[in-house]
Amino acid sequence: MTNPPASVLDELPGELMIWVLIVSELLVFGAGLITFMALRMAEPETFAQSQDLLNRTAGAINTVVLVFSGFCAAVAAQNAKRSPMKTRLWLGGAFLSGVVFLIIKYSEYADKARLGIGIESNDFFTFYYLLTGFHAMHVIAGLVIFLLLLIRPAPGYVHAGVSFWHMVDLVWILLFPIIYLL
Amino acid sequence: MNTLTKALIMLIGLSVVTTLLAIQAPARLSWVAFMVLFLSGLKARIILNSYLGLGASQFWRRGFTSFIGLYLVIVFGLYLLGTAP
Repeated sequence: MTNPPASVLDELPGELMIWVLIVSELLVFGAGLITFMALRMAEPETFAQSQDLLNRTAGAINTVVLVFSGFCAAVAAQNAKRSPMKTRLWLGGAFLSGVVFLIIKYSEYADKARLGIGIESNDFFTFYYLLTGFHAMHVIAGLVIFLLLLIRPAPGYVHAGVSFWHMVDLVWILLFPIIYLL
Repeated sequence: MNTLTKALIMLIGLSVVTTLLAIQAPARLSWVAFMVLFLSGLKARIILNSYLGLGASQFWRRGFTSFIGLYLVIVFGLYLLGTAP
């Protein structure tokens, strides 16, 4: 008697639902960024001038901070079945890096506010605040998940929480160059 | 050096190169935009394969790579349309 053929869904690491979430988030942010690029076609000068007002160095530092945070989260997941202590330690590193990301993001928003720039200034800044703000809300959600995992680092939960964090990381990797650099 | 550490070094290196390229290059050039998006695609692939564990499944690795590749091609196309004189 032969075994039935395995579904390709079985090849996905972790829970299926977390992958549904990852794909959904990629589609939502992807649609937002494509709309941003489509609006840029109508107002290239406004978009170029507005983009020059962004702090690219802060954005780049935040990329490195988030990438490091993702590394900490990945190491935490690797240790989840072996050592709750090490898992907590690395989750703590990921959490603190996430906090640093938010502090830098807040300082960027504060700088823009000082310049009198808000969400209604123009289409560029409307999408800048919508997309980076929505992403920041995901970072906050990730930090709450990390806090819960620090209390109870069960391997299944750690894997799901860490996968969520990598999704947040992945979205930033695609969002940062389009809004800050192009 | 394990896979995760290699991925971290690659991601930081690519992030630095991407930012320096965009900041140092004069004005907004098409080839710079292409390189910035290409390097971002590489970073996304590293996260998917090394951190999210898709490296073990050829089917899903190809699927996600194609999806992100197509998305970046659309973004680059819109960039060119918005930059044309």
